[in-house]
Amino acid sequence: MTRNPPRSSHTGRIAAGKGVPFSASPMLKVKLPVWRSRVVLFAMFAAFLALIVRALWLQGMSTDFLQKQGASRYARTLELPATRGKITDRNGQVLASSVPVKAIWAIPEDVQAAPKEKLQALAKLLDMSYAELSKKLDSDRNFVYLKRQVEQDVSDQIVKLGIDGIETRKEYKRFYPEGEVMAHVVGFTNVEDAGQDGMELSQQKNLAGTTGSRRVIKDRLGRIVEDIEAVKEPHDGKDLVLSIDSKIQYIAFTQLKEAVAKSKAKAGGIVVVDAKTGEVLALANLPSYNPNDRSVLTGAQLRNRVMTDTFEPGSTLKPFTVALALDTNRVQATTTFQVPDKMTIGTATVGDSHPHPVWNMSVAQIIQKSSNIGTAKIALQMPAEEMWEMFTTVGLGQQPKFGFPGAVAGRVRPFKSWRPIEQATMSYGHGISVSLIQMAHAYTIFARNGDLIPLSFQKVSEPPVGQRVVSEKTALTMRAMLERVTAPGGTAPKAQVPGYRVGGKTGTAYKIEGGKYVKKYIADFVGFAPASDPRLIIAVMVDEPSVGSHFGGDVAAPVFATVAANALRALNVSPDSTVTDIIIPTDGPQEGL
Amino acid sequence: MSGRLNFVLALALVLCALALVNAQYQARQLFIELERAASQSRQLDIEWAQLQLDQSTLGKNARIEASATRDLNMVPLTAARTQYLTVGEK
Repeated sequence: MTRNPPRSSHTGRIAAGKGVPFSASPMLKVKLPVWRSRVVLFAMFAAFLALIVRALWLQGMSTDFLQKQGASRYARTLELPATRGKITDRNGQVLASSVPVKAIWAIPEDVQAAPKEKLQALAKLLDMSYAELSKKLDSDRNFVYLKRQVEQDVSDQIVKLGIDGIETRKEYKRFYPEGEVMAHVVGFTNVEDAGQDGMELSQQKNLAGTTGSRRVIKDRLGRIVEDIEAVKEPHDGKDLVLSIDSKIQYIAFTQLKEAVAKSKAKAGGIVVVDAKTGEVLALANLPSYNPNDRSVLTGAQLRNRVMTDTFEPGSTLKPFTVALALDTNRVQATTTFQVPDKMTIGTATVGDSHPHPVWNMSVAQIIQKSSNIGTAKIALQMPAEEMWEMFTTVGLGQQPKFGFPGAVAGRVRPFKSWRPIEQATMSYGHGISVSLIQMAHAYTIFARNGDLIPLSFQKVSEPPVGQRVVSEKTALTMRAMLERVTAPGGTAPKAQVPGYRVGGKTGTAYKIEGGKYVKKYIADFVGFAPASDPRLIIAVMVDEPSVGSHFGGDVAAPVFATVAANALRALNVSPDSTVTDIIIPTDGPQEGL
Repeated sequence: MSGRLNFVLALALVLCALALVNAQYQARQLFIELERAASQSRQLDIEWAQLQLDQSTLGKNARIEASATRDLNMVPLTAARTQYLTVGEK
């Protein structure tokens, strides 16, 4: 290869290998075409350029995409669940509470591969037959709920089975420890934990929490090591303290149940109100239902009759007519009227429930014996407008503001269309419709020296301000009259309570079906106790009692008596009467219809 | 002289870097612990709710009445058998 001998003057550097100095290397002498080095230089330049472009591309153009990809490999967004608020009674006893449970869902395609015995075990844990489970899994979708609201320990066992494609999701189940006793007050929620009825519905906004979220970095063991964004805190729902007293509620419910069973009635309702604060201490309806198991529910069970059913109040309305007459000084308690057992107004004839000779009755006696004619005679002295105003002021025919879903207004027709006969019948509670809670509310004017206070389903911290309807003198006179209703000789001696003075008014009304009165009754009683300084207002309604008497004094008054006795004792109200044994006359008078 | 300064600065830099790594590691450990404590507190909250529910279920009036009348043979009191005492009376 060498064409020239090495030059001796260049001994400084030795060419590798052969001992030839570098500068003497014959390779240096080779003349190469210039374009070759240029090509190499250009290739290297191009390669660098490519790298720079690539770097710019990654850094500049697709940086968002890449960062997202990176983040998705270490960052996770966690949902922070919020618990629905508890509902408690006034003493802190839990009436409704949410407990975390699991929803079991499946990706059907993945589950197909699982061995049969594992699926059988799964079916057993889910409380369904294997055939049922297979049917659910035989689906084209890739998300199938197998069962919702599965309790924690069961779901743990399911996870332990280790079947591919079976997943769990956290959710909440609401439990109602008091069951049917509280059903109509508390209401219930659906599987999504949203309120459907009762206080659960009306207070949905406050009870429901808002879920939060946070974005975190997880290490390879799945532990959270860092927050990478500000945490959006979850807010648990607010707890709700009701005005209900579980003990009184239980007493009211069981007594009503007994009365409804005894008279084989279709339905019943009871409401107990604290006369001092306007708090509803108990509200029960029959038939009721168990909110924990709503698989078989009928409309009748769901119906909150106390709030949503209107009926003709009958004689329980008489005290308002009389109070108005007293308050406007048209009559005194001792004013007497000639009361026959029948009276014709215009073309229609109205009558008392039992035939009797013409009696000389005082106003007090008209209330005590519940005479329709007597009340009508008092009413006809007054202009229709004043009566209408009285009924409306105490809340009848007005949309109630109790903060409860489905409460109805009832019906009081405008006074301009009242004919004299209608004014007469309305004075004793016919041709007018109210709900039981409206009656209980209206009676606060008698239980509270003449003023009306708003009712509340939530615990009240300060006594509410009343709105005066009648004078204190009228209220006290009415109270004395209503007390005589429960005394021997009145229409409701069965409402007496040992140890306490009580007052109230019976009512028995025909039901209206298809616009006509039919021979079916609603027996009701609204009363207060103790009469010296009323603490409780109790309103009872029994719908269609079919065995024994159908009069309010026989069906509803005894419920009032037992509930009042037990509730007053539960509230530690001291007795205001020394009478501890009560003799109920066997042939007391019956009230008018 | 300047070579020595460089060496010292380089050493300080390395030490700082190691300290940073250590601090980050410590921070993560503490964070994990915090997380664990937080999840424990959630768990305890749930347990508390469950226990409250149990208390309500076991203490509900229907159950108390049933066991009082059936198991303990108790009867409801009546006013006739009650002695009322008034504070401040002789």
